[in-house]
Amino acid sequence: MTFATKTRTLLTALALTALGTQMALADKISILTEAPAPAAEAPAEAVIVNIAKMKYEPAEVTIKPGQTVTWINTEAMPHNVAFKAGVVDDAKMDGAMMKKEQSYSITFNEAGSYDYHCTPHPFMKAKVIVE
Amino acid sequence: MVESGQKPRLLRASFVGAGLTCSLLAFSAAWAQTPAPAEGQPPAAEAPAAADATPAATDAPAAADAGAAAATAAEGQTHGQRAAAEAAAALAAGEDDEPVILEAPAPNTRRVYINDSAHFGSLTQQFVIDTDAGRVIAITDSGFLPNPVLSDDGSVYAQVSTTYSRISRGEREDYVEVFDPVTFNPVADITLPVEAHRFLVGTYPWMAAVTPGNSTLLYYQFSPAPAVGVVDLEGKAFSRMLEVPDCYHIFPTAPDNFFMHCRDGSLARVQFDAASDAEPQITHSAVFHPEDEYLVNHPAYSQKTGRLAWPTYEGKIYQFDLSSGEPQALNTIDGLTAEERADNWRPGGWQLVAYHRPSNQIYMLVDQRAEWTHKTPSRHVVVINAETGERIARHELGHDIDSVAVSQDDDPLLYGLSTGARTLYIYDAESGEELRSVNQLGHGPTVISLSDMN
Ligand SMILES: [Cu+2]
Repeated sequence: MTFATKTRTLLTALALTALGTQMALADKISILTEAPAPAAEAPAEAVIVNIAKMKYEPAEVTIKPGQTVTWINTEAMPHNVAFKAGVVDDAKMDGAMMKKEQSYSITFNEAGSYDYHCTPHPFMKAKVIVE
Repeated sequence: MVESGQKPRLLRASFVGAGLTCSLLAFSAAWAQTPAPAEGQPPAAEAPAAADATPAATDAPAAADAGAAAATAAEGQTHGQRAAAEAAAALAAGEDDEPVILEAPAPNTRRVYINDSAHFGSLTQQFVIDTDAGRVIAITDSGFLPNPVLSDDGSVYAQVSTTYSRISRGEREDYVEVFDPVTFNPVADITLPVEAHRFLVGTYPWMAAVTPGNSTLLYYQFSPAPAVGVVDLEGKAFSRMLEVPDCYHIFPTAPDNFFMHCRDGSLARVQFDAASDAEPQITHSAVFHPEDEYLVNHPAYSQKTGRLAWPTYEGKIYQFDLSSGEPQALNTIDGLTAEERADNWRPGGWQLVAYHRPSNQIYMLVDQRAEWTHKTPSRHVVVINAETGERIARHELGHDIDSVAVSQDDDPLLYGLSTGARTLYIYDAESGEELRSVNQLGHGPTVISLSDMN
């Protein structure tokens, strides 16, 4: 992925976020890029949650408002990060599927407890606590 | 919710009447049925002549019951030939044609419902069949991957179904529709809220069930988290979702109690209060099967006795008695012999196991197949004593059979459904002899449902 393409993707994501439907989402969380990024490009300061053997590890992380969590899928089975309706927005939010060695980053702007799961594997559950 | 009558449905003629109308005759003839026995069957051209030999038909009123018509039919006549003869006799006698909407006979142990999920088609059908006569007696329409639900007393015939505002796209609506099992008019149409949408999956019979006493219908939700929807059938209203652990299938044992099978290999008992929002009480059994033993998606469950028979891919059958409300493990049996397993015999198909409650026997579809071909049809059924595991019979079915079921009377019929041939084959369960069949059952019928009314 060239830098120009990545920038455009980021801008697209921001533009989408700015649209009315995702306003509430934009308040509670910010999504770094809509599409998964290479694991190597995870933000240096992010709290890392690895995904392996159908589990999020660690299953619970505690961060401060404004901090970013980056999920890295370490296996071939695709996984994502999804929130039920009412957690980060009135609507549900299904993050993009990460393939092996891809990452997905979310900045949490507000204090609270954020339960999430994997869309095709609802038994994969974990939590981000922001305080 | 829509009151009965607000959403009229097309009711197919049910053939129960003596078939005096020409339109009915034409429709009836369209359903080719295999006569039994095949020999001695007169050519179709001879059918009018046969009418002369059945004057009783001319006396039959329009709503005469099928039994009377059957009694006067010549041996070996097809239903279409019989209807032709009766219509010819009625015409000869100068009887007027009085078209009416027919009713089906009362449900009995020999009625089955065939679910055609039509290979994931957006619109589907259920065929209601009198298996004594080998005749379609009604058809109901449904949406995407409906789950048919029957009560054991035959009084509740419902579907948990899904439609979209533009056939397969647009606004999704999930609902429970309950039908009168004689008129097939809808008697309840209960909308499920968006957050209570059901699991869209190839039809697993035990993804929805009615509780004993018929007060409540339960259905499964997979996403975003495992949950069971509670529908009040008496009040004709959606009640609520119950949060459950990572478990699948619903086996009710009481109006407020059901069991599920969990990812960790245990059974979960779920006790709930239908009248309140209280959290359900959930307890787990011990883990009863190892992680590398795969239990099929279509276990057999007798709600009347709480007996659960659950085969693995290799033909081992786990059994439970759930009737007390505590999961009581029964003897685990081998549906196949060591020699058969060594010779690549494995269970396979869709609804591949059936349980006959009166005799405590298990019927399982088997064939010689490679591992990982467990969804291809089978050409044999093994009959097993559920108590001892002893082999009673192995019937060669003569067709590629995907789903099996057995009527719950003391002299049962064995049903073998072929998805590829779209045909229900009806056998004598004891001998395995094929008695008759019903064809043209939609696009890809997969599930046989019936009531344990014995
Ligand atoms: Cu996953």
